[in-house]
Amino acid sequence: MIEDDEILQMYIEESLEHLSDIESDLLTIEGDGENIDIDIVNNVFRAAHSIKGGAGFMGLTTIKGLAHSLENVLDLVRNKELVPTPNRISVLLKGFDKLESLMNDIQASNDEDVSEYVDALANITKSSLTEEQQDMVTNLLDLTLADGRVFPAVSQYSIEQAKDDGRYIYLVEYDLIQDIQRKSRNPIELLESLEKTGTIIDSRIDFDSVGTLGDNLLSTRIPFQILFSSILEPDMAGTLFDLEDQYIHVVTDEMLSISNATEDDAVAAMPLRTDIEPELETTPAKMATIIEQEAVISPKLVATQKVTTVTPNIQKEQIKANPVAIKNISQEKEVAVKQNIAHVNKQKETSKVEAQAKQQPVKVKPPVAARKKIEPVATENDINDFTNEGDSGNAMNMSKPVGSLRVNVNLLDTLMNLAGELVLSRNQLIQGINSSNAKATELSSQRIDMITSELQEAIMRTRMQPIANVFNKFTRVVRDLSQELGKSIDLVIEGKEVELDKTIIEAINDPLTHLVRNSVDHGIELPQVREATGKKATGKIVLKAFHDAGQVNIMISDDGKGLDPDKIAAAAVKKGLMTEQQVSELSAKERIDLILLPGFSTAEKVTDVSGRGVGMDVVVTNLAKLGGIIEIESKTGKGTDIQIKLPLTLAIIPSQIISVGNEKYAIPQVNLDELLRIPAAQVKERIEKVGDADVVRLRGNLLPLLNLSQVLGIKKTFVHPDDGTEYPDQRESIADRRSSRTGQNGKRESVNSEFVLERKGQDRRYRASSAINIAVVSAGAHKYGLVVDELRDSEEIVVKPLGRHLKKCGGYAGATIMGDGRVALILDVSNLAQMGELTTMAEAERTAKAARAAEEAREKALDKASLLLFKNGPEHCAAPLNLVERIERIPVSSIEHVSGKKVVQYRGGALPLYELSQVSNVSKLPQTEQQEIIVFTVKGKELGLMVTPPVDAVEISLDIDDSTLKQVGINGSMIIDGHTTLLVDIFDVVKTLNPSWFENEKLAAAEMEESGQKVILFAEDSAFFRNQVKGFMTDEGYSVITAEDGEIAWNLLKERHTEIDLVVTDLEMPNMDGFELTSRIKKDPALSHFKVIALTSLASDAHVKKGKEVGIDEYEIKLDRENLMKLIRRYLNL
Amino acid sequence: MASKTATNTGTPIESNTELATFYIGKALCGIDILSIQEINKHFEVTTVPQAPDYVVGVLNLRGRIVTILDLGKKLGLSQIEKDKRNRNIIVRSQDEHIGLMVDAISDVVTAEKDKIEPAPSNISGLKGRFFKGVMKTKSSLIGILDIEEVLKD
Repeated sequence: MIEDDEILQMYIEESLEHLSDIESDLLTIEGDGENIDIDIVNNVFRAAHSIKGGAGFMGLTTIKGLAHSLENVLDLVRNKELVPTPNRISVLLKGFDKLESLMNDIQASNDEDVSEYVDALANITKSSLTEEQQDMVTNLLDLTLADGRVFPAVSQYSIEQAKDDGRYIYLVEYDLIQDIQRKSRNPIELLESLEKTGTIIDSRIDFDSVGTLGDNLLSTRIPFQILFSSILEPDMAGTLFDLEDQYIHVVTDEMLSISNATEDDAVAAMPLRTDIEPELETTPAKMATIIEQEAVISPKLVATQKVTTVTPNIQKEQIKANPVAIKNISQEKEVAVKQNIAHVNKQKETSKVEAQAKQQPVKVKPPVAARKKIEPVATENDINDFTNEGDSGNAMNMSKPVGSLRVNVNLLDTLMNLAGELVLSRNQLIQGINSSNAKATELSSQRIDMITSELQEAIMRTRMQPIANVFNKFTRVVRDLSQELGKSIDLVIEGKEVELDKTIIEAINDPLTHLVRNSVDHGIELPQVREATGKKATGKIVLKAFHDAGQVNIMISDDGKGLDPDKIAAAAVKKGLMTEQQVSELSAKERIDLILLPGFSTAEKVTDVSGRGVGMDVVVTNLAKLGGIIEIESKTGKGTDIQIKLPLTLAIIPSQIISVGNEKYAIPQVNLDELLRIPAAQVKERIEKVGDADVVRLRGNLLPLLNLSQVLGIKKTFVHPDDGTEYPDQRESIADRRSSRTGQNGKRESVNSEFVLERKGQDRRYRASSAINIAVVSAGAHKYGLVVDELRDSEEIVVKPLGRHLKKCGGYAGATIMGDGRVALILDVSNLAQMGELTTMAEAERTAKAARAAEEAREKALDKASLLLFKNGPEHCAAPLNLVERIERIPVSSIEHVSGKKVVQYRGGALPLYELSQVSNVSKLPQTEQQEIIVFTVKGKELGLMVTPPVDAVEISLDIDDSTLKQVGINGSMIIDGHTTLLVDIFDVVKTLNPSWFENEKLAAAEMEESGQKVILFAEDSAFFRNQVKGFMTDEGYSVITAEDGEIAWNLLKERHTEIDLVVTDLEMPNMDGFELTSRIKKDPALSHFKVIALTSLASDAHVKKGKEVGIDEYEIKLDRENLMKLIRRYLNL
Repeated sequence: MASKTATNTGTPIESNTELATFYIGKALCGIDILSIQEINKHFEVTTVPQAPDYVVGVLNLRGRIVTILDLGKKLGLSQIEKDKRNRNIIVRSQDEHIGLMVDAISDVVTAEKDKIEPAPSNISGLKGRFFKGVMKTKSSLIGILDIEEVLKD
């Protein structure tokens, strides 16, 4: 039927193309108002015109009528007789919309009622005309030719217009066979070429003159009549039309007469008949309509003995006549089309078949299916059914002209070149392989690799379409909506030329429409409101597309009222999506992101425009399907920016290959944020458990972890680092360490609690392969770390669908084939998150916030101390600042050597000088002319430590490693400004060098031994200070009970308060701090007699005040051994 | 034999249909040879975690992703034992290629209509709905599989 007709197809495509541009043109015309841009109006006019021209030829009367009415209005606009007001443009837009919908369902177009549109357009036309002219708009004229034939129902208005312009009116008759078919021309091209020199007023195929069965077949023509107006003189016309004069009629007034017919009846003039003879068996063609026609032809054919078979090629030509025929059959049920068609067919058959040798008559039996359709032709009603049947059946496949794409010729040439190169390279490859030439093979494989990439890119480009295809329609959307809502909005579109894959272009249409509508409906305020808030009355929406980082970004910004985080939060609570408590913890940004939650829509009233119960979550889901993400930024009162990021194409996607167990999986690169490898040594610190979920610390944020093998239920294996064999993995939690007891048979012998306890103290991960690999991924509202066995290459993969048995496995987006020929599954990141029951980003951010708070608390809990930094030759050293008296620089020459000791005269005395290397195993000081000396006071005596500059003071959190570098005179080490810094223990240094200074302590200790040891309860969370201070105390003979935090100290004190004599506590501690501990002690009647000495690294006034309030008896600085000991002695009354 | 007959779906077996027969465990089954695309022994399947238990995995068959089913498990019999004689029967169904893993391939036999009986509901533990019928030959019984029924999820 019609759909086979290439010409119809071409017509539809071209018309749709014209129509797609019209909208924006019309809107420009509207914007220009009275100062029309004649070129743009002409554009639209020509579009309407060529649609009309083609429709006349195709027999699409409805389309022709509508296009004609549109053309009339546009003509008036063009001639500046009509101002394109918004109302008029609206009518035009609606008219063109209707035209487009007719085009999309071409089969049913003739049955559509467009009178509403035609009338509205006619009213516009009339309004600008005189009364006399007004009649013309609806009047129709019949044009009678000299030989008596009639060209019926021509719009008088069009004729008059042409005449007014002083143009000649021609009726030219092309013969579809002789002039078009034979000359390999195409009717649409013909119409187009005519348009260049004049105006086509009307066109039709004159079936009346096709002739009857009795006529001489060979002389029969199928006249394609075109009513044409042009300024060309009649004597030139012959050249123009490329026709003999007899087929060119100059229309004069005498030929025109008022027609009785209305436009709708125009077709009625075409005769047809319905009584079809029953010789159907003889019909050779398959398709129903054709059969109908053939049925008529056949007897005739047989009778003339000229043609015996109908070749399939002929069908195409027959079809040209078909739309009209069908229309006629269904509407008019008159007479004679049968003969006409018989002639048409006859003629063609003749022309085609004549060349062939005369064949024997063959009777072809129609297929069963075809016959069924033929039968109903007998009655009128059945004919209607028949037409409808044809429509419904074919409309489904054919109503939309799918599957054709315009491709730049240059691009095609490139493709052709590449294909050529590919063939050459293949030949080389084959040659190389046949001759076992490794080098040649390698070379050609490289070439093929290159060509393939280029080919891929070129083919991709053919699928690329400018985003303008989607963007342009928004001009209209915004215009219509803002009119409806009484708003005034400018839409600015940028980056129309950005290209995206066809499928993506199609798929983003809906989400974008939703977003733009949202901006218009909820974003931009009413003009009065805007003016009241000091904004311009006209709102502005910017729609912008641009490339960034291999992705396409689409931005929708408005300068409207923005999103109100509190309102959104309140709505979320009201809808039960969140609790008050949860909401109160959210930042403004997080609150705004709540609108992405499923089931959320803030529209207070449901308008026709947006807020139809589907919210942003649908947008998010749809975009996620495309691998796109959405980000919202909004300032209340200022406006909202919505950014969408989309991949360029879906068919071939770059992805990260990872592996778990024996299988490889692909993670689309769009979902991948970063790759993370946690070294074995840091696993314990960086991976933590929050509730029952694993999280990883990533730049101060907590990122939820999902173990891919757990989510997918893969039996985990690991390769034993020693023997390389694979064993099932027994770990239950990521932070768990593998059991060393995994037996050689691959089974863990026992899991006992002893083991679990054992690992708590010290982490014994030491092999590099124990590192944990994490792919940090995000999709929609989810961002999480996917724990995998191995991170492999990133590759471009071709997405292939999975079979139906695997549709229920949500974790995969498809499959791909790897270089080794094996299949790898592509992971669906957002579905995995759901399967892993991960919380959404909002919640993740909340946990992250909690983590930050925890981090801060930890920071606080860490002891801060002021240190003096200096160097000892190459080594970086530090000492507690509070022990330092002064820093001096002396000339080396002033140092005296007295009885093996170095001294310097200093403030009227001799200051003993030491260097660190005398005590500890460190470098000797270099020889210099100047010597820096740090003067310490120990035991009331001063001593100088010779050091190397620079000397500097810092205040930092102490995080001391008291094992690695500990030695005599060195407490331990820590990292300061990226240097491993030794913490110098001045007391130890002095004790080693001058044991006599500590005689008193020894005596005191000995005394205490005799008189009974004093017991000190010492609470301190830092192991370093705990050991240090405990050391000071035991040196002097005290017995020390240590506690790791206030709570432990409290419990110890309650249990053993009879033995304890004094409490010394740190202030900053986890679980229970020093203040709390002191206040409890002082409040407990049984314990309130205990004196409490608080140790602090930084005693601020506020601290002291707070301490006094809770009853702390004394403060002392940590590491100030002397004063601490003095204090202790004082409080113990020693 | 049990008297209950299973409801059959699909087109009935006509005489002259050639049946490709194969073993699932000890049961001999057959399918219309025309529904078979090819028979191969590619077993480099990629396992699909979370797939139904009867899915062996997915296979790359000349650029096409083919789901391989363990026909034994699918029919509710024992799993196909790993063996040198294992084969994948690739069938085409609903525009998709699906592989059926069987224990071993046997002969091609011509169906004779008068020897085909309706499938009993409990033919050697198999579910009757999978069968179009049972054909008796001199030496054995061949269960004729209704391939569309078997391939239903």
